Amino acid sequence: MLLGDRVPTCLRHTVMNARNLPRFVSLALVLTALSASAQEQVLDPAAVRHRLFSPEQRLEASVSVGLPAREYLTAHYNLNAGLAYNFFNTLALEARAGYALSRHTGLARSISESFLAREDKKITDELEDMWEMNLHGVVGARWAPIYGKLSLLADETAHFQAYLWAGGGLASLRRQSVIQCNQVVNRDLGICDNRTDPNNSLSATQSFWRVDTRMAPVATGAVGFRFFLSNGHALRFELRDWVFTDEYRVNVERELWERGEESGTPAPNPGLTHLVQFDIGYSFIF
Amino acid sequence: MRPTAFLAVLLSATLATAQEETPAPPSETAPIPVKPELEPPETDVSAPAVPEPLDTQAPVAPSDAPLATAGEPELQPVSDPNAQRLVNGAPLHNPNVAVHVVQKKRFADEGRHEFTLYPVVAQVNGRFTDHAGSALHYTYHLQENFGLQVSSTYNWYSNESLFNLELIDKVREQAQAASALLLVWGAQAGVEVTPLYGKFAFYDNHLLQFSLVLNGGAGIGSTRVLVRPEVSNQVDGESFTVPARFGDTGTKFLGSVGGGFRVQFGDSMALRLEVRDLIYTARVDRVDGCNLQDFQKLEDARGSGQSFSQLGLTGSCQFQKFDGVDPKTRKNYREDIVLGKDLVSNPSSDVLNNLSFYGGFSILF
Repeated sequence: MLLGDRVPTCLRHTVMNARNLPRFVSLALVLTALSASAQEQVLDPAAVRHRLFSPEQRLEASVSVGLPAREYLTAHYNLNAGLAYNFFNTLALEARAGYALSRHTGLARSISESFLAREDKKITDELEDMWEMNLHGVVGARWAPIYGKLSLLADETAHFQAYLWAGGGLASLRRQSVIQCNQVVNRDLGICDNRTDPNNSLSATQSFWRVDTRMAPVATGAVGFRFFLSNGHALRFELRDWVFTDEYRVNVERELWERGEESGTPAPNPGLTHLVQFDIGYSFIF
Repeated sequence: MRPTAFLAVLLSATLATAQEETPAPPSETAPIPVKPELEPPETDVSAPAVPEPLDTQAPVAPSDAPLATAGEPELQPVSDPNAQRLVNGAPLHNPNVAVHVVQKKRFADEGRHEFTLYPVVAQVNGRFTDHAGSALHYTYHLQENFGLQVSSTYNWYSNESLFNLELIDKVREQAQAASALLLVWGAQAGVEVTPLYGKFAFYDNHLLQFSLVLNGGAGIGSTRVLVRPEVSNQVDGESFTVPARFGDTGTKFLGSVGGGFRVQFGDSMALRLEVRDLIYTARVDRVDGCNLQDFQKLEDARGSGQSFSQLGLTGSCQFQKFDGVDPKTRKNYREDIVLGKDLVSNPSSDVLNNLSFYGGFSILF
């Protein structure tokens, strides 16, 4: 039946509803088709027996990549390697070390360029949370009280542990200001480096933005899942927060910093910087 | 061969096959088997050479199929009688069983109604905005893995982020109005699928059933924009704190995708932990119904002291919100006209992602 003007409006709606409902239900069924067989098993006995692998009293090596979960002015891509010893199935001590590839976000670059040309702000405070983490090493405990099994669509069952991770260590930090340019090259274009092409920042080999570095204690915590693939192999997914104290200066004066002089005072209560990352990792349990 | 005898043979063979296919745990960590392997009954009947009719074939047992059908399992003797105590049907205290999860889903969802209250909905990706609110969802589980869902969210806190205010304060920069659009409430209809389910044990003592839920929907949401942050107003030597002022930017199309876990406690209660991305279109060309031309007229009239009601503004323009003096803070609302005009003078548009964490509990019936 074709829908047209010959069908009264009220009837047309009824017909459309009647026609669309089965389609909608069909679409819904298609959407869940993959899990249909699992559904069959939902109410059938589907035994899951023992731990696929018991890490207790075993050494474990892992690698992971961390991606930024949120970006404000900096972004980090964290490469880590770790070594752990599982005292129990539920408790392990892990040492992690790595290097974070970091950069300023587009927003930070945009701020730096526009602020260089701004004349109405001669005295200001540095922005918070501008420190970038590079080399770092931490030691922590992993507590995995939850062991579970997940039905994957049909007959496959994934074994996993859910865990909390907490620890601390040291990190090397670097901070490049987006406010203090020690040598303004072109104020209108917001250039503070030795680029050869004004429109191509990649042609620069030296930047004149103020740079600070330091080593600082870092604390880190994570919540994650570890899926056992087979004997000794596991995939890790975790949300990890790296925390360290912030440091920045307040009441910095443009005239002073542009002459290359020290300006401003350290912020009295700078707070903490959080780098929240989504980590994907692989572990091998010996 | 008699059909019953053949069926018995076939069942035995299937069970034996299922046991052989069960992957053995590593020898170092393998717990002592709780159930002895079953010996298939002796028979001199070989496997049939030709396929049998479907109605006489035994179903193929999955590799982890239960052994319950083969009779009562014989547990090995254990020294501690407590080890035999069943927790949710599983001998979790038996040292021979590292983790034993009950074999079937204990609670079926099909045909059930579920009301979920999320007391806390907190935005986790707020760069220019911060949202916190509550949500109420209703789900009708059309079938075990598929449900229809109606959801509503109200943000009792929505404001520009501290980060955005820091940019304004320190470098005189701020997000475009569209990028800092705030969601006040949203209402949606959609679907929810639960493609995966599982069970987990907390320290081998408590056994819980959970599902992975994925949902999506579409609807509308009410938005607003910050016109003026909280300021201090000095009048006749007195200082008043003037609360932040927001302007209505209308209802927008709202879509969402999300996912999370539903952990079930008993037959009628569940805990839900989800992340949901509310996606809404943002275009700011009116504030409190007033467009740029309206604001221009208001600004001109403000200078001349003319009454706003005679200006021939568009019908939607709520000029009263930009007129008068607040008796409590003595703030003259006409001063906000220029701020409203700034917001619409460069109409901006964006598609915003409001990624929020939802923590709530459900009642099923």
